[in-house]
Amino acid sequence: MNWALFAQQVVNGLSLGAIYAVVALGYTMVYGIIELINFAHGDVYTAGSFVALAALTLLGATRHTAAAALVFALVVALLASMLIMGGTGVLIERFAYRPLRGRQRLAPLLTAIGVSFSLENILQLWKGPSPVPFPQLIPNPFHNIGPVSVSQMQLVVIFSSVVMMVFLHFFVQRTKLGKAMRCTAQDWMAAEIMGIDINKTIALTFFIGSVLAGAAGMISGLFYGNVWFINGFRAGLIAFTSAVLGGIGNTTGAALGGFVIGFIEVMTAQYVGFQWAEVAIFSVLILVLIFRPTGLLGQQLPERT
Amino acid sequence: MVLLSAVAVLGLVVMSPGGTGPARAAMMATIKIGVDFPMSGGEAPNGVPSNNGVLLAIDEANKAGGYKGQMFEEVLRDDAVNGVHDPAQGAKNVQELIADAAVVGMVGNFNSNVGKASIPLTNAAGLTQISPSQTNPTLTKPPDALDIRKTNPTAINYFRVCTTDDIQGPVAADYAFKAVKARKVAILDDQETYGKGIADEYEKEFKKLGGTVLSHDGIPKGTQDFHAILTKIKSENPDLLFFGGVTTTGGGLVRKQMPDVGLNIAYEGGDGIVEDEFLTVTGDTGNGTYGTVASINADKLASAQAFSAAYKAKYNQDPGAYSANSYVAAKIIIDAVKAVGPDRAKVRAWVAALKNYKSIIGPFSFDQNGDTTNRVISIYQVKNGKWVWIDQLNFII
Repeated sequence: MNWALFAQQVVNGLSLGAIYAVVALGYTMVYGIIELINFAHGDVYTAGSFVALAALTLLGATRHTAAAALVFALVVALLASMLIMGGTGVLIERFAYRPLRGRQRLAPLLTAIGVSFSLENILQLWKGPSPVPFPQLIPNPFHNIGPVSVSQMQLVVIFSSVVMMVFLHFFVQRTKLGKAMRCTAQDWMAAEIMGIDINKTIALTFFIGSVLAGAAGMISGLFYGNVWFINGFRAGLIAFTSAVLGGIGNTTGAALGGFVIGFIEVMTAQYVGFQWAEVAIFSVLILVLIFRPTGLLGQQLPERT
Repeated sequence: MVLLSAVAVLGLVVMSPGGTGPARAAMMATIKIGVDFPMSGGEAPNGVPSNNGVLLAIDEANKAGGYKGQMFEEVLRDDAVNGVHDPAQGAKNVQELIADAAVVGMVGNFNSNVGKASIPLTNAAGLTQISPSQTNPTLTKPPDALDIRKTNPTAINYFRVCTTDDIQGPVAADYAFKAVKARKVAILDDQETYGKGIADEYEKEFKKLGGTVLSHDGIPKGTQDFHAILTKIKSENPDLLFFGGVTTTGGGLVRKQMPDVGLNIAYEGGDGIVEDEFLTVTGDTGNGTYGTVASINADKLASAQAFSAAYKAKYNQDPGAYSANSYVAAKIIIDAVKAVGPDRAKVRAWVAALKNYKSIIGPFSFDQNGDTTNRVISIYQVKNGKWVWIDQLNFII
């Protein structure tokens, strides 16, 4: 066994899993609070890449831009993609899901699929149906850590994802708004009686999930150097699977699930055969669900009333 | 038959009050040539230049007076769904073309898996179908092809003017072994009919030549991140990476991400990556990539000079890799109509019996399976962000 190679693949798994994990957080937060599989979330992530691309183009950032101006452009683009996608998430909730809240569960689910198609088609109309190159603005030299060489972009991806996860954890566990979210997730009726504005809290959940997706969209654009309007489909599917694997409704579980799936994908590529990656991912999912029907860390769902 | 005669009666009614000359020609029903290509999305760079070739052939035929005053007209269908060629959409398109009694034959499809879905339909309907670019061997060659043309296995209706992957794949392997001097290769394919087909043939030939195939992996559909598989390939230390598939199923992103894992080796693909989209996706990293195309480079042939000039004059750009083939495919149908009239069965029989046909891509015949006897493969390389023709090889079985 070549351990250096194994370690190298662990790094690849971390950078791949980090993106799945951040997108999975959005799925799990929304499911945790209103039990809706927000199929549009993967497309919000892809739309984030498009918004970031537009912002960077607007600011005229290229690889030859001076360092200070480049950092400024990257920060502005990141903020733009986060805020615009956050706003989009709130709008989607307000106009597509809120009118259906409390109805039978099939209606919001179908609406979510509809929103997903709409977003994909908006992106297709905007930038055309072909893959669009995304400027690779961050220099990408290799850093040698022992026998493993990590590219700078991989470090950026892993580091920024971890920052986002830590931020989210702190927000949900330590702030008043986070407490309101947890309350609403547990029992929205009781939360309302306690004076929590349910509509605002649910909108906030969508906002935060979409902000994370927007940031992940920009980071993945920089990482892969390419965005395509249809990318959100597979990313969403895998991220949703991560959320289920970790225990849906559970934010720590979603992050864990994202990394686990990232590892399964890279290890299958290394030791079994790349074509089996999805077979392996879903086999592990099935096995986990047979023995732990609530996922690795257990579900956290609203109580039935 | 009832439908056919009804159409014929209608045709007579429409024609009878006509006078002579252009006014009458305008009133006569047109002779339709069906076309099915991916015309939108990431694959429009494949479909559009090919369709331009068809349009050029139809234009020329109409300028020369059409068939006894009847004009030729194209019926175009797009088989791309969300930017990717789609066999189900292709089959639906072909059904529509078959249902239109004025369609005497069709040009298409572009992609091999679309052909797998559409050839059984045209075979059952006895409609001539000529593809400029489908290179998967099983579409014509028994025993697999007998499943595809099972309604009328002996009445060949599907033809192609390009050569096949059992020739394209080996030529690509020959080129890698002899010209690039690669001895150890890794292979990736997109697990589609075309991609896996050409990659398998490549692997067979490369081993036969005495080279080593270190690994052969498939890519799960929709993959964006190739770091893991490229890291694995790097650890095997190959001289060259061969990709079987098209740009949008990974051909572009694999090339783009190779430097991200420090994999600096030659990269080669089939005709699926020899198009502009590959250049857009890969940017600077695309330089040096080799690609094979199962057709003659029209620019290099004296017989195709007039075609190239007409194409550039009309569309203000160079012909695509399969424009000349599409032109020839459409011209065969037009010539068939001129020889035997606008009748599906007669057109099919005429094309099936085609021997030593003189075309702009050289003289060729169709063999007993509908394949061209012309087996030339062109080799291209990306230089300064452009696909440049570098060589062509005539493959003798």
